[in-house]
Amino acid sequence: MNGAVVQEILEADIVRVAPQGRLDTFSVPPFEQVLTEHLDAGRARLIVDLAGVTYVSSSGLRALLSARRRARTAGGDVALCSMAQRVREIFEMVGFISLFNVYPTADEAIRSVREGIPPGA
Amino acid sequence: MSEEKTLRVPGRFESLAEIADFIARVARDAGFDEDDVFRVQMAVDEACSNVVEHAYGPNRAGDIVLSCRVDGNGDLRVDIYDQGRPFNPDVVPEPQVGADLLDVDEMKVGGLGLFFMRKLMDEVTFHFDERVGNHLTMVKRSAK
Repeated sequence: MNGAVVQEILEADIVRVAPQGRLDTFSVPPFEQVLTEHLDAGRARLIVDLAGVTYVSSSGLRALLSARRRARTAGGDVALCSMAQRVREIFEMVGFISLFNVYPTADEAIRSVREGIPPGA
Repeated sequence: MSEEKTLRVPGRFESLAEIADFIARVARDAGFDEDDVFRVQMAVDEACSNVVEHAYGPNRAGDIVLSCRVDGNGDLRVDIYDQGRPFNPDVVPEPQVGADLLDVDEMKVGGLGLFFMRKLMDEVTFHFDERVGNHLTMVKRSAK
């Protein structure tokens, strides 16, 4: 469902956020609100699980970029996982794929973020 | 498909999913493969998002009209009309995209929607006149 966001707090400062459906200009504000609330609460290690996402517009990319900047300022980061090929292409088109730590699955993202392992290590 | 297919919807973000479904159907009927259907869909989504966000904004209301036609070569032409503030693409800053984005500030990615439209479609042309309002034409050439 567009606009729905599944959330799972894994540790004091680690959270998995899984938006659903299309991340377009309509559904980005509630998603961005969720990210902001976690960052405000000091959860700066964010895993954005894109398994349920079929489309990401430029406003979605901007929201992720903005969250990444805030997370990094707070000593954390935004990691992405479970991207469908088409969603990945959108990130690649604008060179965003190299900005984020991207993991094939949520489990790998969670393990790496918990242990502080960079992707590919 | 030679006839024109049109959709008129309120210029609001809530309309974006309906627009996406409409344009996907049109592009599929025109014979485009799923990769190109997705590209056309994304370009149209970005264009209509710009209309709602910038041409209409919070204080204006109006419709978005999409008009689609396939020519004899199988090329798909999408015309998008709105009655919002005149849009001038020349004043939109170019986004900084590519490998040197590592120090990016999100403020520098203004114009990202426009970047996608130009990247995904073969032609993107903006027109404005007092009577018609904003008129955007985008063309996706047939791969056949």
